[in-house]
Amino acid sequence: MADIVRKHVVSVEGQTVRERLQAMDDSAVVTEFLGGEERAFSELVTRYQTRLLNFIYRTIGDREKAEDLVQEVFIRVYRHLHRFDRSKKFSTWVYTIASNLAKNELRNRSRNPLVLFQTVQKNFQDEDRPLQFEDTTSRPDDMYRKRHLREIVEETVAKLPEHHRNVFILRELEGKSYEEIAEITECNLGTVKSRLNRARNSFAEIIAPYVD
Amino acid sequence: MDCRDFCDQHLAFVDDTLAGIELVRMQRHLVECESCAKQDAKIRRALLLFRNLPSIEPSANFSNRLEARLKECQNEQLVHSHRNLRLGAVAATLASVLMLGYISTTLYGHTEAPRDLVMPPVVASIPESELMPPSGPAMVTSVSAGLTIWPAALFAEQVPVRFAHSQLELANYTR
Repeated sequence: MADIVRKHVVSVEGQTVRERLQAMDDSAVVTEFLGGEERAFSELVTRYQTRLLNFIYRTIGDREKAEDLVQEVFIRVYRHLHRFDRSKKFSTWVYTIASNLAKNELRNRSRNPLVLFQTVQKNFQDEDRPLQFEDTTSRPDDMYRKRHLREIVEETVAKLPEHHRNVFILRELEGKSYEEIAEITECNLGTVKSRLNRARNSFAEIIAPYVD
Repeated sequence: MDCRDFCDQHLAFVDDTLAGIELVRMQRHLVECESCAKQDAKIRRALLLFRNLPSIEPSANFSNRLEARLKECQNEQLVHSHRNLRLGAVAATLASVLMLGYISTTLYGHTEAPRDLVMPPVVASIPESELMPPSGPAMVTSVSAGLTIWPAALFAEQVPVRFAHSQLELANYTR
């Protein structure tokens, strides 16, 4: 009986801790983690895993590798969180790590043609996979159209130069401010605006024939 | 506003960060210029398409993999901190041994019976008197005959003094 009561108390306590963490902003969660609350890290993972996965995936275009890189981001965050300057935004720091990892991945690919070939081949094989993201209640022709459009959009993004693409994704997908993008990409504000403007124009130009 | 200004400010226009007057000018240009209106529509439509891309979710085993890697990371950190602790303990032991050695030496030195102060023997000695080479009459006599007359005369002026000196020194010598 006492065991059951103890278990119930622990679970209630765990639940309240989780709820308390959920209600906190990033900075407070980081403080909790540094204060020894291990569950705070899970909260950070929950908050950022999907966002980081989408950001890295849109940048490098390889889903498996994107997952690996997201894991690497969290490992780095775990190791170096005590060094994080808490006067800055946690999300900016995390995205800076993710952006650098994605950039390194693209650089390694361009240096190693075999990796590039394997990625292209893998993406090619992906064509045969069942649909994953479309609404299965849609009509087949709608599904085909949607899938086709999604592929075109992804291909168009991939065609943008790397430094334009990075800024474009951070702004349009992640909704980051110009200042945050400047900090993440380590560029000045003018460069960010100019790159974003060019990226938007190029993207619109490439995709226009498919949309009209 | 011309088309160039419109293009320059289009970024802020799309992001809705323009000030009131600028916004009105941009909107007016949009009504007046068909090509800019087309370009604006093209960009907005493309962005809408991109922003509505379906989000991808982490795979089912993502959390388990991450948890395993985090555990590895924790273990590494533990091993690292243990190693640091061990090194710290060794250093502390060495330091304490050295400290104990120093303290015991100091204490031993203090507990010993006071010894007689031994000083080196003092030897009294008479300082040697300085031996100055006498500038004797020989110096005067050694003047060669080949000297011109007037330096010789100058020299001759000093002769009595030198003689007087040498006499004094000689007197000192004999003391």
